[in-house]
Amino acid sequence: MIRVSNLTKHIGEVQALADLSFDAANGQITGLLGPNGAGKTTCLRTLFGLLTPDSGTAEIDGIDVAKDPLGAKQQLGLFPDPFGLYERLTPREYISYFAELSGMGRAEARDATARVITRLHLQDIADRRCKGFSQGQRMKTALAQAIVHQPSNIILDEPTRGLDVMSTRLLRDILKDLRDQGHCVLFSSHVMQEVAALCDKVIVMAGGKVVAVGSPAALCRQTGKDSLEEAFIQLIGTDEGIAA
Amino acid sequence: MLSKLLTLVRKELLDAARDKRSVMAGLYYAIGTPLVMCALFMVLIAQLASPEDLDIKISNADRAPDLVRYLGNQGINHSDSEDAAKIRLVISQDYPQQMAKAKSAQVTIIADNSDEKLQTSIRRLQAQLQAYSSEMGSLRLVARGIDPRVVRSLQINLEDQATPDSKGGMILGIAIFTMIYSVFISGMNLAIDTSAGERERNSLALLLSHPLSTRQLVLSKIIAVTLFAMLGLVLILLVSKLAYTLVPWQELGFSISISPQFMALMLAIGLPVALMAASMQLFVSFMAKTFKEAQSYLTMVLFVPLALSMAASYNIAPDALQWLPVSGQQQALMAFIKGREIPMLQLLVSSLATLALALALALGMERSLKSEKVIFGL
Repeated sequence: MIRVSNLTKHIGEVQALADLSFDAANGQITGLLGPNGAGKTTCLRTLFGLLTPDSGTAEIDGIDVAKDPLGAKQQLGLFPDPFGLYERLTPREYISYFAELSGMGRAEARDATARVITRLHLQDIADRRCKGFSQGQRMKTALAQAIVHQPSNIILDEPTRGLDVMSTRLLRDILKDLRDQGHCVLFSSHVMQEVAALCDKVIVMAGGKVVAVGSPAALCRQTGKDSLEEAFIQLIGTDEGIAA
Repeated sequence: MLSKLLTLVRKELLDAARDKRSVMAGLYYAIGTPLVMCALFMVLIAQLASPEDLDIKISNADRAPDLVRYLGNQGINHSDSEDAAKIRLVISQDYPQQMAKAKSAQVTIIADNSDEKLQTSIRRLQAQLQAYSSEMGSLRLVARGIDPRVVRSLQINLEDQATPDSKGGMILGIAIFTMIYSVFISGMNLAIDTSAGERERNSLALLLSHPLSTRQLVLSKIIAVTLFAMLGLVLILLVSKLAYTLVPWQELGFSISISPQFMALMLAIGLPVALMAASMQLFVSFMAKTFKEAQSYLTMVLFVPLALSMAASYNIAPDALQWLPVSGQQQALMAFIKGREIPMLQLLVSSLATLALALALALGMERSLKSEKVIFGL
């Protein structure tokens, strides 16, 4: 479970977060939807303790990130944007490295890595160095890294960018699986279709604060529009920075 | 906690070993430098060592047979070869007459005194002529019933205290300097790759998103870079040990051999320097946003140990330098090579200063990695 209360953050002159509050429950896929520059990435970085908020708190499973960053991070898996692969390592080495950093023992990490490689159909590239991987292969490697240690909360930053249809479908299936297993899945996106297809709950962000919260259907009802896209434009008052 | 550190170090080393650029940088220096030094020393020795026999061109030799015979006894002979013509000794036409009248007879040395290669030979010829002159003078005084010692008011004795090893100290100083410097060169590429490179590849934020402390991260990177630096040092010692046997040291009257004792001392002294080098390079590279930027900063920073080490080799302001990092260790190693007692207190102080510097830089790095500006390069 992820809970954010009254987060405020200035980066230079820019107010990136303005009194941001929301929560993402276990067993749900929560989408953080907003135009470019709405503060989505800033918010996610704050959840990992990489940015310190000017005020407010972020809690992971009830652990305050500012007070116990290691304990909070222990409960998190991150699918970052950009991926941050090590080009000279193979996916197997890469995934098990991060599994060990997330607190698994060597043997345990090796087994978990083998399992996640099978699950994401990575066998054919598992022992090739990452240099020269396609976007889809990179995405799968990064996703494997995020879920290998079975964290209770998984955070994805713009996960579908640059993916083909097959990779996107695989990603969706994995996210739904994770939800059904009771994980809390939180992802940021500015792609409408993806959010409409996946999310149980949408948090619409603009200008560093929450504009509206609800299921895609509820948001449509609330604004009296037929599609989430129309509803979204109605909510943020502009169609700037949105991909259909 | 320790197992995470181990995981980090293992990954750093695996990643580094697969990075051709990092491995090659260390290898080229460690293998290339001793060979270049060897070649340099050989040229230097060929210049310094004056040949056993000195060939010069003597004009009018028939006018001073006794002088020519005297010079011949000292290994200075007439020759018509082109080399010999570089130094010419001209005996004046009236030499026999002047000698017979017990007056000064003129001899003239014609040579290019600015040519460093000739200077030793010219001095040698001058000294022999001087010696002949004073011998003749003594004989003239004896013939007049005067003790020749009256004109010799000073008797100058030179007791050369230089041992063969201490003569080689200067040359070995340069050799030691190249070894200490290997600690800085061997790990440099890795230091940049694992810090500025990590951020350039966007993996730094991901790494910091995992439950590990920045202290573990900093430590693992310092350990990896230090190991690389020490590997470079071991390699350069081994290559030097082999290469320096090729140099014809005996021509200088001393020999330089890299003994196992010296190698052990070098490694022991090199470790704190390697730690400091690693911390410094990582610290600077973390400040840079890209690989290239880090490279240009480090080139500037590396000038400091270079200057310290060079100053120690050439004995510029040695008093203050023997307490400072790098130059202090260099002087201790030079003392060891010259067969003198190692200045233990100075070595201790400079090594502790080196370690303190490494610690300060590591702590600074730990602090900076908590800053958003450094992580995201804002």
